[in-house]
Amino acid sequence: MEIYRHACPRNCFSTCGMLSYIEDGKLMKVSGDAKHGYNQGRLCAKGYAYTQYVYNPYRLKHPIKQTPRGSGNWERISWEEAYDTIADKILELNKRYGSNLASGYNKFSGNIGLLHYAVEGMFNSIGPHTKPIGNPCLITGEQAMRKSFGQMNSMMPEKMAKMNAIVIWGANPAVTNVHQMKFILQARQKGAKLIVIDPVFTRTAATADIFIQINPGTDGWLALGAAKLLIQSESYDQEFVRNQTVNWEEFHQYVNEQVDLHEVCRQTGIALDVICELVSIYSMAEPCATWIGFGIQRNVNGGKNISAINTLAVLGCHSGQENRCVYYSHSGIDDFPVNLLNHEEPEHPIVLHSREIDINNFAENASKLVDPPLKLLWIALRNPLSQDQDFQAWESLMNELELIVTVDLFMTKSAEMSDIVLPAASHFEEMDLNVSYWHHWLSINEKAIPPYYEAKSDLQIARELMKKLNDRSPGFSNFPSEREPIDWIRMELTPSVKKLYSVECIDDLLEGPRLRTEEVSNSSSSSFKFRLFSQGNKGTSTHFINRRKTDVEESYPFQLLTPQSLLKIHSQYETMPWLNQAAEQEVVELSEYAAEKNGIMEGDKVELFNQNGKIAAIARISRFLPQKVILVKQAGKNPINRLIVHRPQENKEKSSMNFYDSSVNIRKWREKNG
Amino acid sequence: MRKMVKQMGFVFNVDLCFGCMACEIACRNENQTDSTVRWRKVSRLIDDTFLSVSCNHCNSPECFRVCPENAFTKRGDGIVHINSDLCTGCGLCIEACPYGAPQYDPVTQKASKCHMCYPRQDRGLPPACVESCSTEALTFVDLNTFCDKKMVGTIPGFPDTRLTNPSIAFYPAKERNRYFLK
Ligand code: SF4
Ligand code: SF4
Ligand code: SF4
Repeated sequence: MEIYRHACPRNCFSTCGMLSYIEDGKLMKVSGDAKHGYNQGRLCAKGYAYTQYVYNPYRLKHPIKQTPRGSGNWERISWEEAYDTIADKILELNKRYGSNLASGYNKFSGNIGLLHYAVEGMFNSIGPHTKPIGNPCLITGEQAMRKSFGQMNSMMPEKMAKMNAIVIWGANPAVTNVHQMKFILQARQKGAKLIVIDPVFTRTAATADIFIQINPGTDGWLALGAAKLLIQSESYDQEFVRNQTVNWEEFHQYVNEQVDLHEVCRQTGIALDVICELVSIYSMAEPCATWIGFGIQRNVNGGKNISAINTLAVLGCHSGQENRCVYYSHSGIDDFPVNLLNHEEPEHPIVLHSREIDINNFAENASKLVDPPLKLLWIALRNPLSQDQDFQAWESLMNELELIVTVDLFMTKSAEMSDIVLPAASHFEEMDLNVSYWHHWLSINEKAIPPYYEAKSDLQIARELMKKLNDRSPGFSNFPSEREPIDWIRMELTPSVKKLYSVECIDDLLEGPRLRTEEVSNSSSSSFKFRLFSQGNKGTSTHFINRRKTDVEESYPFQLLTPQSLLKIHSQYETMPWLNQAAEQEVVELSEYAAEKNGIMEGDKVELFNQNGKIAAIARISRFLPQKVILVKQAGKNPINRLIVHRPQENKEKSSMNFYDSSVNIRKWREKNG
Repeated sequence: MRKMVKQMGFVFNVDLCFGCMACEIACRNENQTDSTVRWRKVSRLIDDTFLSVSCNHCNSPECFRVCPENAFTKRGDGIVHINSDLCTGCGLCIEACPYGAPQYDPVTQKASKCHMCYPRQDRGLPPACVESCSTEALTFVDLNTFCDKKMVGTIPGFPDTRLTNPSIAFYPAKERNRYFLK
């Protein structure tokens, strides 16, 4: 049996080191890589199911085309024909409009390996085109972190094991980051307290010593209330505050005058003595880690909530030295040149730049484009018709498009609406280089097995399609098609990367993942001063936007939360039988209050609806859900995002998608209206 | 039944299990069992703790007792093993086991169950499920020699152990404070 080294490329905190066991070119089983210091030889349930992912009866085997679009009338075609059709279209659009602005792509996080930036590299190589910008997932929080701390990187997450207290705000590692749980529970075994603050009684909450349920979106209130109590009892590091923060006076005054503890309790739904318990954790335990989950910033107050939590954590941290004990995300990728992403566009005589559209409102913005309109859309590493929002806008955009190409391993909702679908390789079938947005390890991903039927990696597709274009129209693309995956990897290992990760060459990585050396300069010695919470624009009387007041309609009284489920990531992993034991039906969780109000019983078929549409589901009544919250897990077949329409605010700042600001209503299913 | 030289058994720490199901799927990855066959099962108990159970390689295995074909053996290390050549798929063991350990395999039309990864153990490796558990909630020891005063024989939610004397021991959960919205 041969063994190869991999990195799991899912959009997951862990980016696990993985080993594959190969016999006669077939993947027999997988295991965690014991040399990876973060996952330490283990995988999650999804990771252990990879044999079913690779050899899945639903995996796409060949390029296929559908006529007409959406009819389900698929026909197998050769790669040659696929490339010809796509190249014809690109060239024709270029001729029609004088540039490539009519061609564009929509790509996100289906595989976060560095070589999957081949999609961006490919489009850059044809000069100005239409590209999505921004990040639906975590950018609001990233900006808030940078504002508070001047940078994004947190301590190694392994260090959580040494903490005396861990306060988790709205993250659910028991489901989304299972390997972090061992560090958390190691601390807990040694006597540390685990506190979880969440509107939902999650699996992580069930593990906690103290679980504090909070009204969704009101974390900032709690943090400011706790900060006020901390200041009143003078249990914060006054010297640190004087020397290492910029706006103490303003903050102090604000907390004194504007933060009313009764209002804090009313907004958050948390009793004062429970807030005091949280304050006592922040004021005595040392060191104490604070972890802010991405869910906190999926609403309109996201940035403010995070800034308030950072402030509480830093006041309570008692120390200038460890003010990075706030965990949010680590941008490992910043160490790398990411040559494919930053591949330089050839110049165009007239059009100076590519056309950028906000990925969070892609469909609506893209359909408004004129001169030229968007005509060709390349969808890769994403399933927007399940994971984006505003499906109606997607439908009208698709009506305008002349060619939709999707690259995927499975027939997703988006693939179903495409003209051409190209089969993508799994990470066992390609080389790659991986870093994490959480831990600090660098791993290589080897090619272990031949591609499944005719599958190809995004990079391979880019190489071949660009070559095809250049054959037709010499010089059309400046993509270096001759460059092999290993060359691209070598180019990522710049002298500074080599130093940072103590590697000399690729072979070192083949022997095992490498840990980034911790920077020596901690923030106390650096000149950056922590920025305490500040209220922002003065004119506004309410500092947090109150959801209920601004809510458009009384008719949708419930707030929709749509977290990840344990055995899926977004819409991935849906066809793996090992991971899908339970009934196929979508489940909606509702509170006892909501059930009673609408005459709904456990197991009833219900319909969840708002002005954007409706979905059918089976009711599960939860005694722990806040009254006005409805919870549906992320899935692909009957995507809950159908009910989500989010119009990004007018201000220019980039923000994450406010997935959790949606309102819905629920009622028993009636066949007539079904 | 005579005393085994060894009695390998599972130790399950309720406080450390958060129901991630890695153990259950790691078992499938290792043994490539059919999609409907669950040698190990993770379930949520009413008090919102989790339980991960497989065959408990009992001291008085009911499967062993009821099998008309004498397909079961108990090895010197205590592992209860089913010889699939002898199994006719009658299903008596499936009904008899209090823990739901033997599973009907629709492909082979026989019963099959957790063999405590003896092929791995024979090579000095831990069972695949034990290896996969990141928090070490699930471990395995020789219960004939291992003892710890904090360990208990059963927990609320686990089936009655009196019939079979299963080779599993537990550490119970610590107390927790939970503040729900009113
Ligand atoms: S999905 Fe996450 S936890 Fe699971 S194997 Fe992949 S990286 Fe590891
Ligand atoms: S010991 Fe082996 S066969 Fe038994 S449940 Fe664990 S992994 Fe499965
Ligand atoms: S792997 Fe460990 S923590 Fe996860 S469900 Fe199994 S026993 Fe529990």
